[in-house]
Amino acid sequence: MRLPTDFYKIWAFAARSALVNRRNVFAIFEMLFWPGVAIFSVGLLTRFLKLDPETVTFILIGAVTMNTVQIAQLDLSYALLYSVWAKSLKHEFMAPLRLSHILLGSGLVGLVRGLLVFVVMGFLSMWLFDMDLSRPGTGGLIIFLGGMFLNAAIIGALVLALVLHFGQRAEVAAWAFSYLMLLLCGLYYPVSILPPGIRELAQIIPLTYFLEYFRHFYGFPLQSPHPLLYGFSQSVVYLCLCYALVQYTLKSALQRGTLLRLSE
Amino acid sequence: MHTAIIAQGIGKSFRAGFFGPRKQVLHAVDLEVGAGAIFGILGPNGAGKTTFISILATLLRPDAGLARVLGLDVVKDAPRLRERINLAASGAHFLWCLTVEENLKFYGRLYGLGGRALKVRVGELLELFGLQPHRRVTFERLSTGLKQRLALAKALINTPELLFLDEPTTGLDPEMAQHIRGEILRLNREAGLTILLTTHNLREAEMLCGEVAFLKEGRLLARGTMSALQERLGLGDRVSLFFQDGPAPLDYGRLPGVLAHKLEDNRVDLMVDRAEERLAPILAAVSQTRSQVIQVRLKEVDLAEIYHEITH
Repeated sequence: MRLPTDFYKIWAFAARSALVNRRNVFAIFEMLFWPGVAIFSVGLLTRFLKLDPETVTFILIGAVTMNTVQIAQLDLSYALLYSVWAKSLKHEFMAPLRLSHILLGSGLVGLVRGLLVFVVMGFLSMWLFDMDLSRPGTGGLIIFLGGMFLNAAIIGALVLALVLHFGQRAEVAAWAFSYLMLLLCGLYYPVSILPPGIRELAQIIPLTYFLEYFRHFYGFPLQSPHPLLYGFSQSVVYLCLCYALVQYTLKSALQRGTLLRLSE
Repeated sequence: MHTAIIAQGIGKSFRAGFFGPRKQVLHAVDLEVGAGAIFGILGPNGAGKTTFISILATLLRPDAGLARVLGLDVVKDAPRLRERINLAASGAHFLWCLTVEENLKFYGRLYGLGGRALKVRVGELLELFGLQPHRRVTFERLSTGLKQRLALAKALINTPELLFLDEPTTGLDPEMAQHIRGEILRLNREAGLTILLTTHNLREAEMLCGEVAFLKEGRLLARGTMSALQERLGLGDRVSLFFQDGPAPLDYGRLPGVLAHKLEDNRVDLMVDRAEERLAPILAAVSQTRSQVIQVRLKEVDLAEIYHEITH
């Protein structure tokens, strides 16, 4: 790696993503409106159902996680979609770039936006529904955030591969992937109530273990003996696989002329 | 002169859809371009020009053949090569919501520029292309001409040694097209930039290119300097002599430099290799016959004729 050349290349994507977010009113909507709606609707539902404080916390953690992961992965997913929408993809790949520049640069903005959503939703949860976010301590909170961002990176990288292969048609995947993952990993319910067959799928999603780890601070028993070990090791393996997949898709795009087609 | 581009046997095909048949777009194309030249690739739409230039610009991998640009293999050495080349294409497309300056900064960073160096380079390019007054205008609000100027400015952000221009003036009004052509010539002359451009505008190629190659249906049909192609195809400048009382009694085919001739009433049409060199001796020969020439018309050979001759 040649610093600061690599830093500038990473910064190019981070700065572009930040500028687009700043100028796009819908990006503000994504960050504040939907997470706000989610906390209000889910929180009020728990109140209507007269759930005990632990169960309310269980569900609110799910709502916060869902929105944080969703927003954090978007910048990564959009890294190439911006170029596809602008029809400028060939100019980006004409530059001496590595995939890591795109992933790190866009991921950085995703991380900041995800963190902001987590803070806003956490604050609303504490203020309106008496959720105690401080119970896992700083360490527990940082580990949980780290787990969420790793999962967001996996989803984002998968979407990048799809964009390079299918172009604009993969746009829908930017949203759909995270919902699918979140459906399986026990957001609003324990994984144990999932039907057999689906339950096994939950075991191969790292977010399942990070949710389990974070919720155990609120008195919910651990389902696996080493959730962090499983969560982090699965995340690292998936990230490596995704990186290799994006590399392969890029190579294939150079062969099939996808970069040119997406720039027309 | 060093060679900037060597392409040998470049072949490329694309599959239509997932299971459709493969369509051969390039058939064993060979090309050499010298450093510091402006070389034109001409051909109708669908001839394979963009495919060929994209392979040389590392945006597409060939199925067959080898290509070296600035001494580097376009497949194996693509990352190193990308630092030294750049591309501008017709119908400039950049991120709509970034300003001219932000777009240039984005691409500058992609080439590893930052801090003061980036600021200086972006400033230079804004000046060079007259974009300074528009630097805070978002891309979507620029006129077509300004977008194309931005495309050229972006293509120079990394101070490339070789520039690929894919139909750089398509869609521009004649005045803007002329301005862009002037810029291209200036870059070649002042910065010694090697330029490979594709166009289907014959006048443009005639004005800009020292050498041209014709591509049709993925095959390189001919290449050379204008004069070499002219000689090879038997095309030349036209000299029309109008007489007072019928054509002078001469064996026009034997006059030096005459490639073909045609007699018509009071007129003789001659095709000569170089009109400016041959006109004086022809007029001298005519005057010896005491015939009176009342009008002379000259028409230089143009690429349209060469193009027609090759592609039909």
